[in-house]
Amino acid sequence: MLTIGLMHYLVVAAVLLCGGIFVMATKRNAIGILMGVELVLNSANVNLIAFDRYLCRAGIDGQILALFVIVLAAAEAAIAVAICVNFYRVLATIDVDRATKLQG
Amino acid sequence: MSLKAYILALAPELIVLFGACLVLLLGRRDLRRQPPAAPLAAFVTLSVALGVAFLTGVPEEPRLVPGLWLGGLTFYIRLIGLAVGAVLVLVNWHQAVEDERGEYLSMILFSLLGVLLTASADDLLVLLFALELVSVPTYVLIALSRSSHRAGEAAVKYFFLGALATALLAYGLSFLYGVMGTTALHRVTDAGVVSTLGGGSALETYALIGLLLVFAGVAFKMAAVPFHVYAPDVYEGAAAPVTGLLGFAPKAAGFVALLRLFDACAWDLPQHLFWLLWIVAAATMTVGNVVALLQTNVKRMLAYSSIAHTGYILIALLVGPATGEGPLRDGVAAVLFYLPVYGLMNLGAFALIGAFRIDEREPETLDELAGLARRAPAESLTLGVFVFSLMGFPPTAGMLAKVFVFGSAFSAGSAHPHRLALIVLAVIGVANAAIAAAYYLRIVTAVYMKNEGCRCLPAQGGPIRLGLLACALPLLLVFVWPGALTHEARRASAHVHPPTLRLAAPALTDPPPTPVAITARTVATSTAGQP
Repeated sequence: MLTIGLMHYLVVAAVLLCGGIFVMATKRNAIGILMGVELVLNSANVNLIAFDRYLCRAGIDGQILALFVIVLAAAEAAIAVAICVNFYRVLATIDVDRATKLQG
Repeated sequence: MSLKAYILALAPELIVLFGACLVLLLGRRDLRRQPPAAPLAAFVTLSVALGVAFLTGVPEEPRLVPGLWLGGLTFYIRLIGLAVGAVLVLVNWHQAVEDERGEYLSMILFSLLGVLLTASADDLLVLLFALELVSVPTYVLIALSRSSHRAGEAAVKYFFLGALATALLAYGLSFLYGVMGTTALHRVTDAGVVSTLGGGSALETYALIGLLLVFAGVAFKMAAVPFHVYAPDVYEGAAAPVTGLLGFAPKAAGFVALLRLFDACAWDLPQHLFWLLWIVAAATMTVGNVVALLQTNVKRMLAYSSIAHTGYILIALLVGPATGEGPLRDGVAAVLFYLPVYGLMNLGAFALIGAFRIDEREPETLDELAGLARRAPAESLTLGVFVFSLMGFPPTAGMLAKVFVFGSAFSAGSAHPHRLALIVLAVIGVANAAIAAAYYLRIVTAVYMKNEGCRCLPAQGGPIRLGLLACALPLLLVFVWPGALTHEARRASAHVHPPTLRLAAPALTDPPPTPVAITARTVATSTAGQP
């Protein structure tokens, strides 16, 4: 019978990470890119919890760190939405491909 | 431990925190009639915090506050962070819409608070959050700095790349946590993690992945190649006075975070990581300087120069702590000396651009600055100081900073495992400093040698002129009397790697919840590490 081990969780996290980076690279909508960021942050959470469960049984440091990463993600989302609203007010779109004023 | 002891130990940080909240409130409607209230409060906060930090001196009990390590590095970063911060507030006195000035200035204070906390971080959690506290306010600052859509665009670009960097940093830290078995940095060496490296075990792979990703996240904040692409766009889009902050706070926090991490690894970096950093340092210097040669926009030119300076500081970081006697051998002290000097000269150069207006906006291209010396001789003279300092010419502190960095690499003792590689890197650095002179001199030539009438008008306000003076004078004074700053930098560097303290560390802290589990794990990994 297959037992789920540390490596399975790490693979899931790595898939989430790659998915998140792929989303960030391909989405043109700013909110879509934000979703990619959330995926990457959550891959870190999966890692933290898995390490906490399988390798670092001494304390709950990993779980606490994961909780704080969730807080961090929420704070970043708040800033992201504010910045997107600001962007929308000047350009009337949140399509980031329209951000072409600065190029060198 | 009593609450009073905690408050005393963290007094400068707490003053900045409360000051930031106060400044945020002062920007609100009722108090709007007194425009200078918010900037004045911000300036007073930073001055008081600087005074308190200076008077309390180097904290005596490093492990007083859980999760923090208060030592010489804390003291040094408090001094330079708060001093450069006070100048930043002067320079940003009239920036942003009047209604939003409270938010704007409080963001500067929060960002500086992040720099101070990074220097004391002794826990992965604190490190991650301190670095975020530096970055998140800068996203807001860029968007608030001016109501042009270039600022909005710069904020979007900076935010999304910054968020990716943070996410990679968190992912990397999760691997480091897995290897260390704890989030406390000072237990890394105790747990024998470093000694397991090189055995080819799974943990070694995790440690390497973790360190690489953490370095990628931090490299973004320092604007090191290949994570530098955002810098020119963001520097161009943001108002010049904010750009001065972008060149100091994230860069300083990034280098200090790397110092803390490498210190936790006892400066025993894995071979791959050393060579990766070597390549990054060489590429960062070269790309920054060569591309800067092609620029005509002064802000973009200074952005590439900022990238190049990251490369120079990386050289000294690779040298690491002193490997023998000698005034120049200490790479860590060279990094610490470079940070405030770079912060001031870069801030000064951007502040000067912000001190003028041309058609209601900042002058940006070399042509727009041409002939400035005739219109504003005093300001042009300070620009001369900043440019010569960035170039590394006497009589400015920029020259000393470069001498310390390159000197630390050239004089790395034979005990250093990578002596030859460091000398090659320093030679690349010296060649780069020579290339850099070409574009820096173009700025001076434009300002002094061109005779065309300059259309620049002085912008509003005396504080920004005071700020220019506060940037230029220290650069000259430090050249004449470098003793005070170098002494402090060396003292901080001596605290960065305290071997005696590290051995004593477990005794000073609370015992880990189940020490047996950690030991068992360590034994298991060290045996797994051996073939």
